[in-house]
Amino acid sequence: MVALAVVGGAVVVVAARDTRTVLLALAVTLVASPLLADPLATPLGLAARFVGAILAVYLLWVVARERGVVGILPSPTGGSRIGWPAEVLVAGGAAVVGFVAHGLGAPAGGPPLASAATANPAALAVAPVATGRDVMRVGTGLLLLIDAALLVRIALGGTPGDVEQLVTAAMLIVLAGALAALAANARADGTGGYAFSDPGRVRVRREPDAHPLDQA
Amino acid sequence: MSLLPFVLMTSVGAVLALLFRRNERIATAIAVVCLLGAVVTALAIRPGQSVVVGGAGFATTEYLRLFLVLGAIAGLLLAIVGQAVGSRRDVPAVTLGVLATSALALSLPDARLAVLAATASGGFGALVTLVPIGGRGGSTVGTRVLRATVVAGTMAIAATAWIGRDLTDLAAQPVVFGLAYLAFALAVAIRFGAIPAHGWAARLTDTVPESTLPLVTAWAPAAFAVVALAWADSSIAPLLVDLDAVRFVVLAIAVISIVLASVAAFVQEDIEHVVGYAIIGDAGVVLLAIAALDPAAWAPARTWILAFVVARSAFAAWAAATRTAFFTGRVADLRGWAIRRPDLAAVLALVVIASVGVPGLAAFDARAAIVGLAVDGPFAALVLLGTLTPLAYYGRLFLVGLGRPEGRQGGGGAWRPVVAPVDLTDLRGWLARTWSANQAVTAMGGAALLAILALAVSAGAFGTSQAAAGLPPTLDVSTESFVPGEPGPEAPVDSDAPSAPAVDGEASGTPAP
Repeated sequence: MVALAVVGGAVVVVAARDTRTVLLALAVTLVASPLLADPLATPLGLAARFVGAILAVYLLWVVARERGVVGILPSPTGGSRIGWPAEVLVAGGAAVVGFVAHGLGAPAGGPPLASAATANPAALAVAPVATGRDVMRVGTGLLLLIDAALLVRIALGGTPGDVEQLVTAAMLIVLAGALAALAANARADGTGGYAFSDPGRVRVRREPDAHPLDQA
Repeated sequence: MSLLPFVLMTSVGAVLALLFRRNERIATAIAVVCLLGAVVTALAIRPGQSVVVGGAGFATTEYLRLFLVLGAIAGLLLAIVGQAVGSRRDVPAVTLGVLATSALALSLPDARLAVLAATASGGFGALVTLVPIGGRGGSTVGTRVLRATVVAGTMAIAATAWIGRDLTDLAAQPVVFGLAYLAFALAVAIRFGAIPAHGWAARLTDTVPESTLPLVTAWAPAAFAVVALAWADSSIAPLLVDLDAVRFVVLAIAVISIVLASVAAFVQEDIEHVVGYAIIGDAGVVLLAIAALDPAAWAPARTWILAFVVARSAFAAWAAATRTAFFTGRVADLRGWAIRRPDLAAVLALVVIASVGVPGLAAFDARAAIVGLAVDGPFAALVLLGTLTPLAYYGRLFLVGLGRPEGRQGGGGAWRPVVAPVDLTDLRGWLARTWSANQAVTAMGGAALLAILALAVSAGAFGTSQAAAGLPPTLDVSTESFVPGEPGPEAPVDSDAPSAPAVDGEASGTPAP
């Protein structure tokens, strides 16, 4: 169930366009990830991760909320270019690979489900991180990517200690805080929302090889 | 534990300065005061202490203390130079954040935790791109900085997690060790912006003032690199596994970065890009040390890291002072700068000696040792020559400086302080006027101080070489435990690795496998 929450959250993060939906899904993924450890972390460690995850997402939420009074309107992110069904397939394939590769050649300290869940955010994050054209999409992809690394840590090394959970939470807050500041700065500049200032590599749309019969 | 005041001073200062960032004066004042406090608290760090908290631990070393002292001083001077020549409002706060996370990264014996702290350091670095108006461009570049940081952090976390467990029942091919090593080495390359992963660093150079560059592309990745060196020496180097193919990849990136960064710096038309590529070139030597995969490279690598980050800070401060003095950073427009401002020429000469060095200086010898350990045969001589290629762009700068100026140009600004009689009826106004009239002098003074500091570190002052030869943070030295039932103080580690002179109670020598 927890693994499904991580996977489902990751799919929504990369597939949705509404920023608040993306952030809600990100919160689910970040909160559920430490629960995949077996045995569970101590209450103190879990509390640190929960607080870290919620605070990290809250910082982004502050930036994303619309404030019509001051003229700040909703700004969607880029969303998935291949649609959510394709993202689900990517997640499914990654889960199989992660489950089979559990331990990566040596006995692992964590459960196989963690390995299966690890591959999902990692695989799903590749597209937004590599091809994203707005701050929020790239940023949420980055948070998914770092969460995947933390899941690798759980899957291979077992349950992290309290101090590690604390340092992890602090890192998530710093990264999300930096992302929130960057997103707010972009959103405050003109009407482009979170979009990058440069369009990046322009994608050339190839013309169809054949013309419709009625134009021939 | 003596590290705690430093961490509190820098982390609380960073948070407060960022919270008050809308009021630039208050935020800057808080940050500068905390940077001063950081210098004091860093000096008060006692090496050889360790504390265990909930199964993990923190330990202080002489190298940690030296890194933080130099970082705090360089950060303070760069912040002052930045205020004088115009910089980003968040730079002092970011400096504090980078120092706090670097302190954690260098004091955590467990590499799995240290990489987390070092990754957070890069998150702070992305904030230097923020500007109050027209911030979309800055955010775009900042996101790229963040992307490099997180991708590198992900690779490092995965690598340390793979090795950092019980591998007695290993069923995988040894090549997996090579992949873990390669992942961490590439992570370091990405963090430094080594070629070909230099795109984000190049865009950053386009966007931020030169005085902020060393913070993001040198100081923050330096802590990450030290963690990588400690991890590689303790986890990878002792293995009897053939990693030549993987080492070759790291070696290639290192050599390419050293040579091509010098070429790129040589052909740049403005001095901030010269600074940016100079940092990348020097970072290539750090990658050489990682490619060496030899515990003997531990001490020279850490010596070089200290020398290079301080020297590049001085170079950046020189560039900022020069731009302020001549109202331009374009190399072609700076003809005659050295004749008009011999003081700036003297500062650049100090920077050249500190960064390129001469035989006998600790940094020069360290770099030669790294090259010798990383590369064998005649190729070593070529690589060593490659590390001297910065002389080409320094020479170009001096040649331009000695050339005849084209047309009428400014005189290079005042080089002497201008202080009007104190107006006791308007002390605040007098201070503002004095500061305004002496901004170029302040920038020049900061650059000169940094250049002297760089030369001292490069020469091995402050016990640089001894500190660099010390062990990585270990919990086996005078342990203070916060966990009931944990053992008390233990005897120092007895390392069978080659020993070096002991430093202030710290066991010395290359890290034991």
